[in-house]
Amino acid sequence: MIDPVLLQQLRRIVGPDHVLAGHVGAEVYSYDASLAQAAPGVVVFPGDTAETAAVVRALSAAGVPCTPRGFGTNLSGGSVALQHGVVICLTRLNRILHMDIPGRILRVQCGVTNLEVQNALAPLGYFFAPDPASQKAATLGGNIGENSGGPHCLKYGVTVNHILGLEVVLPDGEVHSFGGEGFDPPGYDLRGLFVGSEGTLGIATEAVLRIMPRAEAVITMLAVYDDIADAARSVTAIISQGIVPATLEMMDTVIIGAVEDSIHCGYPRDAAAVLIIEVEGLAAGLGAQAARIQALCMAQGCRSIREASDSAERNQLWAGRRGAFGAIARIAPSYLVADCTVPRTRLPEALLEVARLCQHHGFKSGNVFHAGDGNLHPLLLFDARDKAQLARVHEAAMDITAACVRLGGTITGEHGVGMEKIGAMRLVFSEHDLDFQRAVRKTFDPRETFNPGKMFPPPVPSAATPVATPAAPPPAPAGEWLPADAQEACECVRAAARAGLALLPAGSGCLGGFGNHPDRPEIRLRSDQLCGVIDVDPANQVAVFGSGTPWAAAQARLLEHRQWIPIRPPLSGACTLGGMVALGACGPERMYHGAPRDRMLGLKFVSGLGREIVAGGKVVKNVAGYDMTRLLTGSAGTLGFLTELNFRTASVPEVCRALRVRGDLAACARAAAAVLHSTLEPVFVTAVSRGPEPGWELRVGFEGFAETVEVQIKKGQALIRESGLPLPETFDYPLLEGAHAADLAAFCSSAFAICANLPAGAVAGFPGDAPTPPGSSCRIADFACGRVSLGLPALSGPDWQGICARTSQAGGSAVVTQAPEAFKQQFDVFGPPRPEWRLLHDLKDGLDPGHVFAPGRLPGRKG
Amino acid sequence: MAIAEQYDEIARCNRCGFCQVACPVFRATGRETGVARGRIAMLRALVEKRAEWNRELENSLFACLLCGACTANCFPALPTSDLILEARTEYLERVGRNPLLRLLFTRLLPHPERVRLAARAAGLGKRSGATRVAKALKLLRCFGRDLERSEEIVDRFPARAFRDTVKPGSYPGSGESLRIAYFVGCGTDVMCPAAGAASLQLLQLVARRVTVLDNCCCGLPPRAYGERDAAWKLAAKNIALLSSEPFDLIVTDCSSCASFLKKYPALVPPGDPLAPAAAAVAAKVRDLLEVVVPPSAPSLQADEHLIVTYHDPCHAVRGQGLSAQPRNLLRALKNVEYRELPEADWCCGGAGSYALSHYDVSRKILERKMDNLARTGAGVLATSCPACILQLSYGVRLRQLPVRVCHVSELIASRTQAPGLPRAT
Repeated sequence: MIDPVLLQQLRRIVGPDHVLAGHVGAEVYSYDASLAQAAPGVVVFPGDTAETAAVVRALSAAGVPCTPRGFGTNLSGGSVALQHGVVICLTRLNRILHMDIPGRILRVQCGVTNLEVQNALAPLGYFFAPDPASQKAATLGGNIGENSGGPHCLKYGVTVNHILGLEVVLPDGEVHSFGGEGFDPPGYDLRGLFVGSEGTLGIATEAVLRIMPRAEAVITMLAVYDDIADAARSVTAIISQGIVPATLEMMDTVIIGAVEDSIHCGYPRDAAAVLIIEVEGLAAGLGAQAARIQALCMAQGCRSIREASDSAERNQLWAGRRGAFGAIARIAPSYLVADCTVPRTRLPEALLEVARLCQHHGFKSGNVFHAGDGNLHPLLLFDARDKAQLARVHEAAMDITAACVRLGGTITGEHGVGMEKIGAMRLVFSEHDLDFQRAVRKTFDPRETFNPGKMFPPPVPSAATPVATPAAPPPAPAGEWLPADAQEACECVRAAARAGLALLPAGSGCLGGFGNHPDRPEIRLRSDQLCGVIDVDPANQVAVFGSGTPWAAAQARLLEHRQWIPIRPPLSGACTLGGMVALGACGPERMYHGAPRDRMLGLKFVSGLGREIVAGGKVVKNVAGYDMTRLLTGSAGTLGFLTELNFRTASVPEVCRALRVRGDLAACARAAAAVLHSTLEPVFVTAVSRGPEPGWELRVGFEGFAETVEVQIKKGQALIRESGLPLPETFDYPLLEGAHAADLAAFCSSAFAICANLPAGAVAGFPGDAPTPPGSSCRIADFACGRVSLGLPALSGPDWQGICARTSQAGGSAVVTQAPEAFKQQFDVFGPPRPEWRLLHDLKDGLDPGHVFAPGRLPGRKG
Repeated sequence: MAIAEQYDEIARCNRCGFCQVACPVFRATGRETGVARGRIAMLRALVEKRAEWNRELENSLFACLLCGACTANCFPALPTSDLILEARTEYLERVGRNPLLRLLFTRLLPHPERVRLAARAAGLGKRSGATRVAKALKLLRCFGRDLERSEEIVDRFPARAFRDTVKPGSYPGSGESLRIAYFVGCGTDVMCPAAGAASLQLLQLVARRVTVLDNCCCGLPPRAYGERDAAWKLAAKNIALLSSEPFDLIVTDCSSCASFLKKYPALVPPGDPLAPAAAAVAAKVRDLLEVVVPPSAPSLQADEHLIVTYHDPCHAVRGQGLSAQPRNLLRALKNVEYRELPEADWCCGGAGSYALSHYDVSRKILERKMDNLARTGAGVLATSCPACILQLSYGVRLRQLPVRVCHVSELIASRTQAPGLPRAT
């Protein structure tokens, strides 16, 4: 039981009414929605961030463990407190703090439920994309802790793709802001790392959510199958045709029967499986898209497929999907929901395996799952009161998990590792991989008092074998090492570590000037020989390349399958994939297609200890362990040397067409706001000013099916005209170069290149006020991504300080991405220090203890 | 029945947590102790002998509104309210009962005239200001230590109860052939006599004959507290009265009474000879909302334009499944704009005596209701349960909202021409 002095202290912090001690409290906070159970010492209900921090400080001082909790709907035991720790329950942090529709953000406290967010946004025509099936009762804090998905994440991505900022109480009680209102804060992707960390790195008390306008139209279809394998094949057929439905959900015959028994929503009882397929977007072309889907399904042996004729019928179809867990709950007292992900093409095999294993272990089961993501949720029915059954059901789930991993999948797609999947972690991670993640954890929580006993299996002492010393230093031209493969790269790193040398991972070198002035001279560790295709799986829309593969070569390879990686970084013609990922580089298409952080499924890299570490995998949903993929993406070579990169590819659009028109910046901003607030789905919305020409050129791009693009072009023209600009002209742009290649090249070739990351609403004001020295080569105002790029011939210290002050005033940040070394020796290119940058250095110290990689380049230079 | 016998039912809770969304107590407190999942977990711990029957359980068991919203949001549709009732009964047996409440249930409630007398005493006390209600009615103190504050919930007691004005007996109606028994709930009788008068008037329009019953309390308050035996004694008394004449329908304007009367058969102790009579009575019971028809005659010229909204009493919407009927009635009124109340089916926190026994939680629940009410911009809030009317009136008074709270029947009657009939006053 908890120490009475500490209990008294907790009562003083939050008030005596907000501490729950005693048997009843211990009993009713001993569980979540999983099968795990353990009694906590005491439950504390802080009322705000400050109280949360004070509670954490008190616990930290006493060395008492704690577990964050919201509504306790976790499906992997993540919110059950082990070691009689303190439950910190955030149900009182239940307010929506700020809604900024023009800026497309929502600031909330983390005890707000997902559905409350949706309900607040719906009347305004907006939504928050993650929509876990438990959204009624799942809090944002839980969504963040688990990196939740939901039916609609097929089209829009998971939680991490929609969190812009977090306010976090760290295990030592310090409060930090990770990110903010802008898309790309400088430094490591701390919010990306935090999302999905399952309460082991701290407690998020507030979040800034990215919100989006609701689609103009939606078509919901029910496809009926006599063979579940045909249904699974239809999924692949649809995705590989370049159609991304909003949802693609499957239910098997057991679920259909159970649902029809309880709510009657019109599924045929004799079907082997049904798919609920929903497409949404612009009304124009949506019907054609639905028709293509229908044809594809019929070609795969679909018995029949019909569209919901009205919202009542649509709701009825969804009622069945949403009621599926409930329906099954009526059949047996308990169920275990497994949560594995396989490549979509392996779904037929995975379903057979699930059926076989359930039968083998003697459990009745049903399947209702996110087929489009390959995310299976077999429901195993049993009675938890029977301890023998309980043990066996865990065995069965483990066998199913292992089978899915054998098929190329992973152990958890969205429910988290928690307690239930700890044993499975070794199926996908080596001891070195786990050690790397443990080191991340130690950086945040050296005593492991935050949610102890979750995610990580205990270390295996024998596995931590001493690293063999390399036979000889690799042959290398002066100042450059060229490892032949990952193994040799490991040896290079170990050799460097031993000799106290510094390495700068490098690809083609065209983006190599990033970051602060290095502490020590660096040897360039080049990826040239890690070049080429490792795996291209067009049906799954997954491609794996060596990090040294030139961007252009990778795209050319993918174009053979009419696919591509929809990221257009600056200098794309020259850079490597590794360079793009290491810098998180992307063009203004980021809003629509995503940044590298949004397109990376996994990667491999050589750590500062000279070990090749695996992060993520090849499936679109993956929450196994910490998100090392996002930590490495954008880490600018300071944490490791990238070796392999797994991308989520996209189908090549039929048409890339844009509008352009000249006007002053304010007018461009008005037009941009009108376009962004509409139901159009632009790929980019920018204004560009080049060289001596007066005024700005507004550009709005659309990509996709010809019919949809054409309608958007027409509507976009009208919107721009209504906002006061002349009629814009239309132009087609090449797929790979995009519409900004020349501008980005000019930006990169400027003596000084500055990239300001701002709240979307602050973009227009920023370059408008900025000093524009004569000869300013290029300015790009990216209204959609909240980014302003300034290419300048010169930059004085006071000017730079002025820019820093104005960006920070606007709630953003600025980075000098390119400058002469003389400037860098004098100034921190990331601007004035921010408190959370301490963590960047702690992470660096923990993960690259010898400071082998790019020492000194991080934000917040020491000394 | 011991709670252990419900083990199979209890084990069906798979702890998904969806009940938290709908539970007004949980939304007010954020506490797992105050939501179905937590209560079921406690029951399970009791059955599995991880917990003991003691006073620590009291809050878990008695802080439930019994509103039933959890069941409506529960995948296996666990009847949590029923399980809680069983547990309360067992708690009283094992841990001890409150003697004052026992007195209230066994000495006061079986006698409607005593209830009216007590209310009159309380009303006198309130009006004179000399004694507070709680003091005039010392019995009520048994509801708990919050009572001193909760006394203000009741603004004033009507000078005369409904059945002081309209004596029990038979009244003619203008309807076709129906013989209706009007079951007068305690709340309508002593707190909302105007609603009673309006209801009688509406019943007279649909029935040939309306009998105002001299019934006693339906038994819901003791049943809700866990005093099953006391509840059955009241029910038995009413069953005898209701079986004494060949009524076609038994109607009440209190949705809580209606819901409970319909459940009389489940209350009959095993082997009791009254079982068939209980079933016969229950089959005839209707909520007033089910029998009133929208006024066919054009309403009076002078009817003012009203914006009206409706609060679903738990015992109407979940207790009896009545949701469309009241809305249709209100929408049918001329010169009335009906606006839906957000979260209309959320409990108002009144829940019988809950507002007295759990003032703070009840107050928070009420505040949520008032936030929603203010959003509608309605001038009239209609409902169909006197306990709700009291609680909602209290909320409106606290917020100083320009809203009249009344029974659906009052609103309809005020807009219905009923010439030639003796108008109840």
